[in-house]
Amino acid sequence: MRFWCILEDVDTQGTFRQTVEPALVRRLQRGELAAFETIYRRFERAAWTLALRLTGRADVAQEVLQDAMLKAFERARQFRGDAPFAAWLRKLVVNEALMQLRHDRLHVIELFDDTHADDDAPAPWAHADSATLDRALNRLPDAARAVLWLYHVEGYTHLEIAEQFGRSTSFSKSQLARATKRLRELLAPQAEDTPCTIGSTTTA
Amino acid sequence: MHDRLDHHRMNEDALLAAALHALPASPPGADAWPALAARIRRRQAVRKTIGFVLPAALAAGIALAFAWPHVRFHAPAPVRVARTNDSATGHVAASITKLQASSRQWQAWVGDLDRNGAPLDDQQLARAVSLQDQIGMVDLQISASRDTATLSELWQQRVALLQQLGLLHLQPYMVAEQAKPGHAPTIAM
Repeated sequence: MRFWCILEDVDTQGTFRQTVEPALVRRLQRGELAAFETIYRRFERAAWTLALRLTGRADVAQEVLQDAMLKAFERARQFRGDAPFAAWLRKLVVNEALMQLRHDRLHVIELFDDTHADDDAPAPWAHADSATLDRALNRLPDAARAVLWLYHVEGYTHLEIAEQFGRSTSFSKSQLARATKRLRELLAPQAEDTPCTIGSTTTA
Repeated sequence: MHDRLDHHRMNEDALLAAALHALPASPPGADAWPALAARIRRRQAVRKTIGFVLPAALAAGIALAFAWPHVRFHAPAPVRVARTNDSATGHVAASITKLQASSRQWQAWVGDLDRNGAPLDDQQLARAVSLQDQIGMVDLQISASRDTATLSELWQQRVALLQQLGLLHLQPYMVAEQAKPGHAPTIAM
């Protein structure tokens, strides 16, 4: 797992970088609903955000949040404590989100119009505001957005992403490269004036 | 030149990661906890019911595993039985009534598990869909058949398929049981 250590911020609210007290985990493992509610409240925002980033749809993210949390409650006994509880919970959310993408057949591999991409141009995301970046992210195809987020934010390696998708590392690398290229196009100043040129050839 | 490009790309990756990290966490629209808590309570109630039903279902499944080839491949020739032996036909008709009642019970139970039971994984879901398709095919044959012996066989098949579907819905619980202390955990972290 890759970690962007320099990006560790102080405010961990709404993220998976929170510690769960072992006593609370033990209560959860005994099936105490009150303990689970405490954990749910603590991670609801992080789980929801992750689900939304991976699926790109609020209604699907809501379903992912519910199903992943339900599994966390029912499978709590399977948590052995080798890794932080938050990492275990995050894995459940990622699994559930990708499963939803598979069920909805949304993870098609879209072909991109690569003709306008220019890798040497200055990175537009360095200057884009959150709302613009958020919009551009939501315009990416499902698989590309999920790979981009898992790699850059969640710190997954290409091998781990490939395993999650049941594909090769080449798939992960190509999706990442295409997502980055497309994001650059979408954030370029003229992108707002031109229509989206994403193809939709389904190969999966 | 290549070094400069690689450095440029690494720098861009770090900038992109930083920009994505900086995106604010979105708050979910409404408080989903009450719905989740209600769902958990419902499922706990179903699990209690399953605690009573599971042994019987397992026994039925084992019996089915032994009986299935016989039921499928050695059923009596339907037309001959129907025409030559009236008492046998009456007996078959009575057994159809029993099978129909059994089918209703299994269907209600499977429906309850489907609504309130544990979610199925990809493979289980595919198997469930396949079983439901097979049940649909049997239903079509039942609606087209007039022969009691054939009907009896079809109703047996329907009950057997429903039992398989019920056992499939129980698999997540069996996995959970195995994961309890004393059993090897299935998810390692």
